[in-house]
Amino acid sequence: METVLRKTRRRAGTFVLALSIAASLAGVPVAAQEGHPLKGSWIGTWGPNRNQGNDLLVVLNWDGKNITGTINPGTDNIPVKNATLQPEGWVVRFEADAKDKAGKPITYVLEGKLGNLPLPNRTLTGTWKNQEESGVFKLARQ
Amino acid sequence: MTSGRARLFGMTLTAVLMVAARLAAHHEILAKFDDHKPVALNGIVTLVDWRNPHVHVFVNVPAAAGVVNWAIELEGPIDLQRSGWSRDSLRPGDRIHVEGIAARNGSHQAWGNSVVLRATGKSVYAMTLAPPAPPLEQRPTPRWPDRQPHLGASQGGSQGYWAFPSVTALAEGNSAGKIAVPMDTWGLLRNIADAPKVAPMQPWALQLYRERQKRFLRDDPMYLNCKPPGGPRQFQLAYGVQFVEDRDRRRIFVLMGSGNNNYRIINTDGRGHAGQVGGDDDNPLYYGRAVGKWEGDTLVVDTRGFNEDFWFTNGGLPHTDQLRLLERFTRTDFDTLKYDVTVEDAGAYTRPWSSSSTLRWVAGEEMPRHLCQDNRS
Repeated sequence: METVLRKTRRRAGTFVLALSIAASLAGVPVAAQEGHPLKGSWIGTWGPNRNQGNDLLVVLNWDGKNITGTINPGTDNIPVKNATLQPEGWVVRFEADAKDKAGKPITYVLEGKLGNLPLPNRTLTGTWKNQEESGVFKLARQ
Repeated sequence: MTSGRARLFGMTLTAVLMVAARLAAHHEILAKFDDHKPVALNGIVTLVDWRNPHVHVFVNVPAAAGVVNWAIELEGPIDLQRSGWSRDSLRPGDRIHVEGIAARNGSHQAWGNSVVLRATGKSVYAMTLAPPAPPLEQRPTPRWPDRQPHLGASQGGSQGYWAFPSVTALAEGNSAGKIAVPMDTWGLLRNIADAPKVAPMQPWALQLYRERQKRFLRDDPMYLNCKPPGGPRQFQLAYGVQFVEDRDRRRIFVLMGSGNNNYRIINTDGRGHAGQVGGDDDNPLYYGRAVGKWEGDTLVVDTRGFNEDFWFTNGGLPHTDQLRLLERFTRTDFDTLKYDVTVEDAGAYTRPWSSSSTLRWVAGEEMPRHLCQDNRS
């Protein structure tokens, strides 16, 4: 008779195997980053809603006092400014100055929350807005 | 021995025994089992699974719907063997009574606090680990011919290693005879409200520490992924450490009995912190780059260049790649190694802070060989 533990182990083994295969296919390490929660490269999408989105890369760093980094929607790196992390609720906010297609200056404001904090697939999801548009974004830490 | 020294020795021994009685090799029990869910089971043994990292006894227990096979989790084979038990201490068909605590997920698993053979009333698989008996008199620190203290076994002397740490998790103000903040062997706080007292953490680090604690340390990468016990954690674990002094090349190896059985090198040849101090993806530095020098009878070690992929102490205090450790190793007598560490990490803490502990010499024994297995600790 298969024991509960063996079943659990078998399921866990299957899960770990599936996770490992998925991770190797995706080229990402299955290990949590244990330092500052925002540090690292975040890849995902942003767009007007959850069904439409363009690729977005955000790279964040922590020097002990300030969160710095860049945001890249596929064109060029735009420095992040006024970045904050509120530990209570893991609320993240940052801004980036850019230009629209007509060359007019715009400021993006992104606000979101960290999810899956202890896990390798940590997420950062929330909303963005500028003077003309708004939408949602979803990022996963690589 | 003078009465003062005897009293001090007695107090130290008591403190060591208190910690040793709770020493266990593997994961925080409360990460998997709920101490508010006691269970008492009578049943028949179907299997003794004598495997690393935890021994399991499977028991058929009568239930309303027939028979339920329970898995009783116990300490690891190394600890049970050292307590005098073997895989044959119980056999299939034995009738036993088990008392323990049930799994948090509601499955038929329990942590076994006691296992008793019903036929004889004999307790089996009870842990009796204790530090070695103290010598009748304090023995002097062993030394090399140039009078420098031996950190490991002395030439021509018996083999041995360091274990039975007086403190098994960092907290500011810990010392050999004083635990600054009450917590269990794995660093789980007795009272979560004490979190800010453990170390001067930045707000994000304090919140992360709290969350790790509230999850009963179940995300510990040393157990989930066999990540090395870098930093002070290497001196907090059940299976101890061994110093191998390579004086020809002026370096000291610190071999780990726990974790994933690897080692750290302390260079004492005068070199600086060469290389990419922060480490890189091809060269992850779980133990950092350590340079040491002797100041009198104390080895002073400056270590930098840690990665962020591990927990540097039991209990899950966060760190960043700015972590720098200043460690002081002093063999105060033959059987005692004093370990003082100052933690500097401007990325996670508001100021440097310190903690101390002692390790006990285990003479005449090889360090236990524990092999970590991913996600099975």
